[in-house]
Amino acid sequence: MSNGQAVKRTPATIKPRTSADATPVLAVRGLTHRYVMGSPPSALTVLSGIDLDIARGQFVCIIGESGCGKSTLLRMMAGLLMPSEGQVLHDGTAVRGVRYELGFVFQQDAVFPWLTVEKNVAYGPKSRGVPKAERERLVAQWCEAVGLTAFRKAYPKQLSGGMRKRVDLARAYANSPDILLMDEPFAALDVQTKAEMQDAVLELWRSTGKTVVFVTHDLDEAVFLSDLVVVLSSRPGRVHAIVRSTLARPRAAETRVSDAFVAAKRTLWTTLQEARGRPVSALQSQTGATGAQATIVRA
Amino acid sequence: MRTSGRGAWLARICTPAVLVGALSLAALVAVYWYLALRPGTNPALVPTPPTIVKALREEIASGDLLVNTLASLKRVVIGFCIGASLALVLGALAGWFRYAGYVLNPIIDALRPIPALAYIPLVIVWVGIGEPSRIIIIVLAVFKPCVVNARAGMKEVAQIYVDAARTLGASRWRVFVTVALPSAVPYFIAGLRTGVSTGFLALVAAELIAAPSGLGFMIQNAGQYFRTDVTIVGIVVIGLLGALLDQLASRTGRALTAWSDVRRDP
Repeated sequence: MSNGQAVKRTPATIKPRTSADATPVLAVRGLTHRYVMGSPPSALTVLSGIDLDIARGQFVCIIGESGCGKSTLLRMMAGLLMPSEGQVLHDGTAVRGVRYELGFVFQQDAVFPWLTVEKNVAYGPKSRGVPKAERERLVAQWCEAVGLTAFRKAYPKQLSGGMRKRVDLARAYANSPDILLMDEPFAALDVQTKAEMQDAVLELWRSTGKTVVFVTHDLDEAVFLSDLVVVLSSRPGRVHAIVRSTLARPRAAETRVSDAFVAAKRTLWTTLQEARGRPVSALQSQTGATGAQATIVRA
Repeated sequence: MRTSGRGAWLARICTPAVLVGALSLAALVAVYWYLALRPGTNPALVPTPPTIVKALREEIASGDLLVNTLASLKRVVIGFCIGASLALVLGALAGWFRYAGYVLNPIIDALRPIPALAYIPLVIVWVGIGEPSRIIIIVLAVFKPCVVNARAGMKEVAQIYVDAARTLGASRWRVFVTVALPSAVPYFIAGLRTGVSTGFLALVAAELIAAPSGLGFMIQNAGQYFRTDVTIVGIVVIGLLGALLDQLASRTGRALTAWSDVRRDP
């Protein structure tokens, strides 16, 4: 694909990386969600008519203003929440409830405080009846992958916030999911730890090749991590645009301060402003001038 | 502090909490002593501390105190084990599974305002005045706080852990056993500790009904013979025993919730 090429597609096809995985691993069809609240009860539409195809192996970020329903969208993808209309298809079958193939990493600290690190990591495989020897192997492998081998016997309260997030990631990956859904997992971390965790998650993504759908409100995070960024408009959330990031991989610390990074961020920022109904014409024209590292593939 | 092993031990024991606590108890005894020595007080009815200590030594020497303490302890332990395990099982189910709640909540809530002692006449008529009736009273007394706390604990289980377990592929039963139960343990412990003390309250009452032994019997019996010194010995021993069991429950609880960074202990 070439830089600077803005491709408009309808209604919802993101070009897969290779022809082998032509079927999207996750497809969202006409997804709408309404919360019924207040008295007398009235429906609040949070998400409206979301169509999305996610190709196998991609790293997709979802951004949008707070309250635009990005977490709701992710929870529906995971089967934690039932849509009011439409459906989510995982490998072509409708998601009607949680399934281990759709791993989830939460924003809050979801590591079980009453279990040691290794028991947390073994929790998923044990739930699925994976034999003990295989569980041992998985625990060893994933504790190592996130750098927590020395802390296998520790309880979560003995770990820092960043380390607990590593446990959370290891626990999700150890369960051999097909897709990882991450809901602002690093939002509560300090800048330094956040950057380390982003490196860690990219490394996990690179080494496993597993699809990641990552919700964030942090533009830097979205630009740094993703192949594609889905920009949602404000409530009710709709897909406003899909922005493709063409920053070179692997991405490292230097990437964060490169001109290409800034240009990509600017494109994304401009798109997000439009999504919020506040277009910024001056900056938008600059984007083209700097040689875009991010291109809008669907608006 | 550079001290011998014995010195270090002393230093650890002599914390401000222990020292001030001991002084506070000593002051209580002193006030009582003063009142007992006031002119016009009948020393047979208001015995001075030395008289009480003498009575204590007599009771120990004769073996009566040991027999009675063991008899009471046995009842409390049996009653506590039955009452607490029933309460934890039923409370956990009622608090977690919706339909178990529909079935059990009305019963639990109906029983809640009734003091265990109110069942005494009924239990005597139905079961008689033997050992089973005394244990039943204790079971009822222990059951109530335990079941209420257990149920409350299950209502407070953080949704995030439930969601996490479910996305990891845990069945509903596995979520109950591996997520809901462990995270409600602090509540269970709080219930058990209250259960220990209400069990003790009921014990004395249960032993007041025609018991052949036990601390409650000892108090009652001594009172009938105006042996107030023996009565006071019995009361003090009940207090000590209750405090000891409470400490045991608290320490067990702390060991079980070592993972938690929240201390619910008073």
